[in-house]
Amino acid sequence: MQRNSFAAAAGAPADGVAGEAVAATQRKIVLEGVTKSFAGRGRVVEALQPLDLTVATEEFVALVGPSGCGKSTALNLIAGLISPSQGRVLYDGAPATGTNYRVGYITQKDTLLPWRTVAANIGVPLELRCRATARSERNDRVAQMIELVGLKGFEQHYPAELSGGMRKRVALARTLIYEPETLLMDEPFGALDAQLKLLMQDELQRLTQLRRMTVVFVTHDLGEAIALADRVVVFSARPGRIRVVRHIPMARPRDVFRARFSESFGKLHE
Amino acid sequence: MPPIDAGRLSGAPALKAFLSTRAGVAVGRAAILIALLGIWELASGTLTSKFWVSSPSAISGMLLKWTNDGSLWVHLRATLSAMMAGYVIGAAGGIVMGLVLGFLPQLQRVLAPYISALYALPKIALAPLFVIVLGIGIESKIALVAITVFFLALYNTLDGVRDVDRDLVRALGLMGATRTEIVRKALIPGTLPWIFTGLRIAVRYALTAAILGELIASNQGIGYLIEFSAGQYNSTGVFAAVSVLVVCSVILTEILRRTEAFTQRWRL
Repeated sequence: MQRNSFAAAAGAPADGVAGEAVAATQRKIVLEGVTKSFAGRGRVVEALQPLDLTVATEEFVALVGPSGCGKSTALNLIAGLISPSQGRVLYDGAPATGTNYRVGYITQKDTLLPWRTVAANIGVPLELRCRATARSERNDRVAQMIELVGLKGFEQHYPAELSGGMRKRVALARTLIYEPETLLMDEPFGALDAQLKLLMQDELQRLTQLRRMTVVFVTHDLGEAIALADRVVVFSARPGRIRVVRHIPMARPRDVFRARFSESFGKLHE
Repeated sequence: MPPIDAGRLSGAPALKAFLSTRAGVAVGRAAILIALLGIWELASGTLTSKFWVSSPSAISGMLLKWTNDGSLWVHLRATLSAMMAGYVIGAAGGIVMGLVLGFLPQLQRVLAPYISALYALPKIALAPLFVIVLGIGIESKIALVAITVFFLALYNTLDGVRDVDRDLVRALGLMGATRTEIVRKALIPGTLPWIFTGLRIAVRYALTAAILGELIASNQGIGYLIEFSAGQYNSTGVFAAVSVLVVCSVILTEILRRTEAFTQRWRL
């Protein structure tokens, strides 16, 4: 992890940061005074300074900030892949213990199984015992997903034969196919062209609204964050600090294609 | 002077094009073989003594004789069966042990120096030991081959398990895979390329070990043929036996290579 820090939102002028305003039962994810340090080779790298963040159930929160400010660390903490050096991470009110498989995590680096075709990769979550699905249903859903991400015709290709953007789409399909209750996304649309990006954004917000998913979405693109999220948390450049948190009052369902042209968008962007 | 093309060596573009085709490669290889054999045939008797170097014609004559009186098959079968049996035992043992140690790194660390010490023992030292313990029959040859292949398979499998991308394992865990499922769906397929490499390398060493065992103490096998011919100063016999070995090795390696290419299509 690169050397970085966020400071606590203490004194941040934002609205909506106050987790206390959200009813306790509604809090899906809570990070309280969380820090994370990595020790190695006699040095200690502090990746996160005390961070407080609350995500309500079915809320779409976007984390926006430059590279290397610990956003991925925050997502890893929520997913339970690492534990905080200080502070607590709560999921559904209970402290996170180990890997949390109720979240779907789309990492920056795609983790496709290179020895499986696109279709087989997308079908992996449905093969697992915890949600075993009949083969015919599995095939149908995989086909739906492939259509959704625009990879029709590539079902039998291997990941090594695909471009980076296509691999990202396969990773997306693989996560969305089992509709986890929480989605953690680390710059999922970065490698896509503008048109596909808009399409995927539209599909994402439609799907997450429909399935009532809680989403934590990391991106560089402020415009994307505003178009998609209920709340945007902005981090400043290194040393990262929560600079502002804004509610996005735009009505749901959002039309991401038009969102950029609306008045409120411009105001929020400032 | 025509300008030099920066990207390619100049000269004989037609030849290069021909050599890029499959037919061209086959012809090229055949040409080299014929040239070598031709030089050998011409040199023996004229430049060097036939006694030491023999000649392709004499060697083929010997091979023909062996084929006709059946002794070639007898000896070949003896060597190959020792080699195959030892190979299968060694490979199975090595792969299993490699997987086990790969999944239990603490155990691996404890055992590492002992394994390393055994691996470092030269087979030439072990061969007489096996003969003493297991006799001069096929068992000692099998043991020698097995132990050779075992270490190669073990180390390659171990490297393979370590090489599997940990992010894949984590990703599967996040999807809800159990430990068994992770092993089946990520660790084993991910280790396979390394296992294949180990198996491919082991073929030549297995054959060498089988021959070594026969050279030390045997009354059958290609190694025996080599020893027997050498003992009689029959260089033709030695060359003939060695050429049989070469052909075997090439065929076995090729079989493995094709199997590997088929199952590892995804690697491009």
